[in-house]
Amino acid sequence: MFIAATLAFMTLVTFVQVVLRYAFGTGFVWSLEATTYAFAWMILIGMSYCVRTNAHIAVELVTERLPATAARVVGFAALAASLAYCAFMVYGSAVFVGRLVALGNYARDIPLPRWVLTGIMPIAFALLGARLVQAAWRAATGGAGTQRSLAVPGAALRPDRGPAAERPADAAAERSRR
Amino acid sequence: MSGLFLLGALFLCLAAGVPVAIALGLASIATMLLFSDQSLAALAQRFFSATQVYPLLAIPFFILAGQLMTSGGVAKRMIAFANALVGRFRGGLGMAALLACAFFAAVSGSSPATVVAVGSIMIAGMVRSGYSKAFGAGLICNAGTLGILIPPSIVLVVYGAVTETSVGDLFMAGVLPGISLGAALLVTVAIVARRRNLPRQPPVDLRTLLVTARDAGWGLALVAIVLGGIYAGVFTPTEAAAVSAVYALLVVLLVYRDMPLAAVPRVLVDSARVTAMLMFIIANAYLFAFVLTTEQIPQAISAWIIDLGLPAWAFLLAVNLLLLAAGAFMEPTSVILILAPILFPIAMELGIHPVHLGIVMTVNLEIGLVTPPVGLNLFVTSGVAEMPVTAVIRAALPWLGVLLAMLAVVTYVPGLSLALPELLGAR
Repeated sequence: MFIAATLAFMTLVTFVQVVLRYAFGTGFVWSLEATTYAFAWMILIGMSYCVRTNAHIAVELVTERLPATAARVVGFAALAASLAYCAFMVYGSAVFVGRLVALGNYARDIPLPRWVLTGIMPIAFALLGARLVQAAWRAATGGAGTQRSLAVPGAALRPDRGPAAERPADAAAERSRR
Repeated sequence: MSGLFLLGALFLCLAAGVPVAIALGLASIATMLLFSDQSLAALAQRFFSATQVYPLLAIPFFILAGQLMTSGGVAKRMIAFANALVGRFRGGLGMAALLACAFFAAVSGSSPATVVAVGSIMIAGMVRSGYSKAFGAGLICNAGTLGILIPPSIVLVVYGAVTETSVGDLFMAGVLPGISLGAALLVTVAIVARRRNLPRQPPVDLRTLLVTARDAGWGLALVAIVLGGIYAGVFTPTEAAAVSAVYALLVVLLVYRDMPLAAVPRVLVDSARVTAMLMFIIANAYLFAFVLTTEQIPQAISAWIIDLGLPAWAFLLAVNLLLLAAGAFMEPTSVILILAPILFPIAMELGIHPVHLGIVMTVNLEIGLVTPPVGLNLFVTSGVAEMPVTAVIRAALPWLGVLLAMLAVVTYVPGLSLALPELLGAR
């Protein structure tokens, strides 16, 4: 997975940087910049992965108390709002990256133009939109992974993602839904 | 006007079930398009620059360290050590559960994970020794919240980044209130144990105590490395986080041997996903804060509050009520991200210390984790203890009283938060 690789890269670079500074009084000039760009890429790619794995946090307090038809209408309004957000961000980031292309300046320590490093942004927001449509389609057609709204509150913070603590938390999620 | 629109749009989106991140972003974009002449490109640039904020880089590393430390084996070692320490006292098993929660919450950084890991072992154990299930569930549910106050804490990192407050100072400031909260809960356990005549555990010999201490010490050293490293000036909080992640990996793989090497990629994916989810909210919260600032909204509110002649103590009371309400509906990081940019400038006008405000907000959000309707710990406890949520809410209620009393202390005794960072030379 791309996001796992970026996380491993960031952790190692930062750790090695500390070791180098103390053990050898040296370091890489590019490490900080490379880490922050890796961080940005992880977030930008990760946000659509979160839609796919149903990990985004939303407040479900109101929607889960609505009757089915109303919930459906509100759900689609929420989807429309989210897609509007994606559209705005695709446009805004495309203009932003376009300016960097025109400017043609380079990153501080990495020998690449800045637009190469930020160019992922409009693509990432377009991908986010596509994933949202896909999730809504799944919900509407009632296929596998049906969900009532765009996200489950706190799903990603639930400990059932932890390696060893699997069973009890799954049970907790089950029961709280019943 | 623009302020009302911004908040109105935000609440409308949140109520409709739009993910928190997108609700923040969309409300900001709409306000900006309608009321000011900033361009969408400026907002996109702002979004990207939020991902380049150096203190926020600590978040993925702390999440990774926590995920690595969330194995069942780590919890068992913490419990064994806690039991050896306090098991001999009346109600010892309850005290041990509380201590184990504090230890585990400190290294895992996650309240719900603590409830699952410690609760799944200790609640059954307490019931077997003659405690009521409600006692065990209520205790674990509340003790699990200590994790967001005891450093390293992601909530404090987020507060520090948003308000440009030193993360190192915030971590140090969290120590004494965290210990006091734990102590208050401990005293409560002792009182209840005396009244209900709860059993003691057989005392352990010194050898067992030392062995369990060494076992648990490998994990607990993580907190020492982070705090010690930051304060000795060895590394920045962000570097401390990366070092703690590598340390956690080595301990779990080589010392504890709880996790096969093959499980590491899975942990990386999970950590990266949780980070992306949180950072997506945070980046959008930067847009929100940006619009708040360009529209001068906090300034307007603070001018209004100062006109009212509201003293600092009354403002803090209002902050507490607001946060308790918000914390009952949203998870801690989202609340910090939405409210800190609004409350912080006002608090500064009133002469409240930025570090103190951060700790007060965090304690409020701890309480939010155990108050319905969205108290995450309540649901997790209900699963672990196999009790209906309503029964857990009732069981948690008396402990909630202790937390509220401590909130009052933390709010009105700034010294409790500020003494340690000041002692260590903070401004």
